[in-house]
Amino acid sequence: MTAELIKSNLNLYAVLQNLEDLTAWDPEMKAFTANWNISIQFSVLKGPQAYILFQGGTCKVGKGALPDPVVKLFFLSPAHLNRMMDGKGNPIPLKGFTKLPFLAKDFARLTSRLEYFLKPKDELLAKADYLAMNTRLTMNTAAFAVAELGLLDPLAKLAAAHIRNGAVLMKILPDGPAVHIIFNNGRIQPGRGEIDKPMACMFMQDLQVANAFLNGKLDAFSAIASGQVMIKGQTPMLDSMSLILDRIPHYLS
Amino acid sequence: MQTYQYPKSQALFQRAVQVIPCGIYGHFSPAPLIPATDYPFYTEKAKGARFWDVDGNEFVDYMCAYGPMVLGYNHPQVDAAAAAQVAAGNCFTGASPLMVELAECLVDMISGMDWAFFAKNGGDVTNYAVMAARDATCRKKIVMIKGGYHGVAPWMQAPGHHGLLDDDWRNIIRIDWNDAAAFERVIQEHPKDIAAFIATPYHVPAFSDSVMPAEGYWKKIETLCRENGIILISDDIRHGFRLDLKGSHHHFGFQPDLVCFCKAIANGYPISALMGTAAMKPMVSRIFYTGSYWFQSQPMAAALTTLQELKAVDGPEKMRVIGEKLGNGLVSAAARHGFDLRITGAPAMPYLRITDDESLMLHQDWCAECTKRGAYFTPHHNWFVSTAHTDEDIEKTLAIADEAFQVVRKKYNRL
Repeated sequence: MTAELIKSNLNLYAVLQNLEDLTAWDPEMKAFTANWNISIQFSVLKGPQAYILFQGGTCKVGKGALPDPVVKLFFLSPAHLNRMMDGKGNPIPLKGFTKLPFLAKDFARLTSRLEYFLKPKDELLAKADYLAMNTRLTMNTAAFAVAELGLLDPLAKLAAAHIRNGAVLMKILPDGPAVHIIFNNGRIQPGRGEIDKPMACMFMQDLQVANAFLNGKLDAFSAIASGQVMIKGQTPMLDSMSLILDRIPHYLS
Repeated sequence: MQTYQYPKSQALFQRAVQVIPCGIYGHFSPAPLIPATDYPFYTEKAKGARFWDVDGNEFVDYMCAYGPMVLGYNHPQVDAAAAAQVAAGNCFTGASPLMVELAECLVDMISGMDWAFFAKNGGDVTNYAVMAARDATCRKKIVMIKGGYHGVAPWMQAPGHHGLLDDDWRNIIRIDWNDAAAFERVIQEHPKDIAAFIATPYHVPAFSDSVMPAEGYWKKIETLCRENGIILISDDIRHGFRLDLKGSHHHFGFQPDLVCFCKAIANGYPISALMGTAAMKPMVSRIFYTGSYWFQSQPMAAALTTLQELKAVDGPEKMRVIGEKLGNGLVSAAARHGFDLRITGAPAMPYLRITDDESLMLHQDWCAECTKRGAYFTPHHNWFVSTAHTDEDIEKTLAIADEAFQVVRKKYNRL
């Protein structure tokens, strides 16, 4: 498993899935994509496959292939996809040539907006709406990255192997957002929202704390000791998950 | 009952994180105490089986400093022996005669062991034992138990943790506890490449029940080691002197080549010991291994007195009785409130878990409610009792536990 392949999985399955929440929670993108009715397939040679489906005012990002996508984008290698995600390359369109202007203009605006929210600056984080969106997307990315790294990254796999079966809940108090990750006999399934009967929980006191914590700006030990971040349950699951998350910077800056 | 607050502990911790990595690191970290805000972080003083935190809150202590305080805090005879030695001198240019006296005492006391080597921490001697085994056998691989703990040197830590190289764990093989067949398979898979088998006398994983050795387990392990030229290491650091003053291997009926002691050996004074058979003495003698403070005489004086006191009061039996009284009382209190409290491990170092909730959240809540009323209970680790725990301590603890069960019963709608 090469670093480029792991990074391409992270890009497709942990980063790009944020389009679902971006189009649901960012009023500007919600309005912008409200009438989109298009499916886009991403296929990487010897790499991951994912699709994005815009339909009825919602966006769905999924693993695998759609039977008949409107647009089909092909990448010669995981590195090729990663270059595109870094803004340094272009995909090879295999289908949907009439939609190329849409991709170049409208879809690019959407992905630029995603990048805007995922690469925070301090002055932007001072705005409540930006803080909320950045925090939501960062937490989503973390949850979905755990699944990819825990299955692919050699060191993360070692940590994942020690995680017992059950669900881990991460929630920002008082009312969310929340994500969960289900570990089940070697399978790792992330998801948005809460889950019944989690085996371990991490509650972050509020959006400010969550943002600082998730972006590595808050000392984790201090946060836990002071109650800003509360953990409970089978906390070794959180310890191992933390080891997995520590691998993200090896692939995504 | 009044519940405790910890403003001074919290304030100190906020200062600590500015200048100390993690604020408080390692096994004293507040992270496994859940919720951490219900626990004290800093201790002001202690006496007998109790300690007082910096906020003035008093606790009956069931961690005993994570094991060392086997006779209780500020034990008069031990502290007097230590003080007398400090008055004479502690850290000398040459070795103290007490070193000889302590080695002789241990050799007389510990079953089947012919020599003693002194260091400071448990990890010093588990590491030395593994070095000696590799040197003695000219082999690389070490077999240990999944979930077992032998210290913090890179080879002892689980793969995937920070600061480790692949090479650090390439020669470590982990098998399940009580699975002698797995050990047999490993021996077949790595013929003449296994240097040592290292394990605690019984299994004490964190966040899980303690597990006693199955019938015949240790004898089978010992036989496999003998037949295959593998050094058998008993890590008696946590259990030592709480189960059997002749060593926990004597308690469970097996004969190791090397035994590691620390924690309870000197009632809080820093010293550890590797002990071994006569056959192992030439092997360890040729390994250079030392530390700046390993010859301090004060801990040796404390160890001699601690061991004498443990003998005089039959420490293991006393702790067994205290531990059983505590355990029986807690199980009854739990049952009165409709909870199933399970106790595993020896009464002197029990692991407790409320079985009604697999996630441990209910158990964590109960431990926290007890702690903030004055019975210091950790939810993740085996507890320790000492010979200093009194009937009064147990009665106070049981009253606290009862009220804490009422609180969690309400919280979990078990009325």
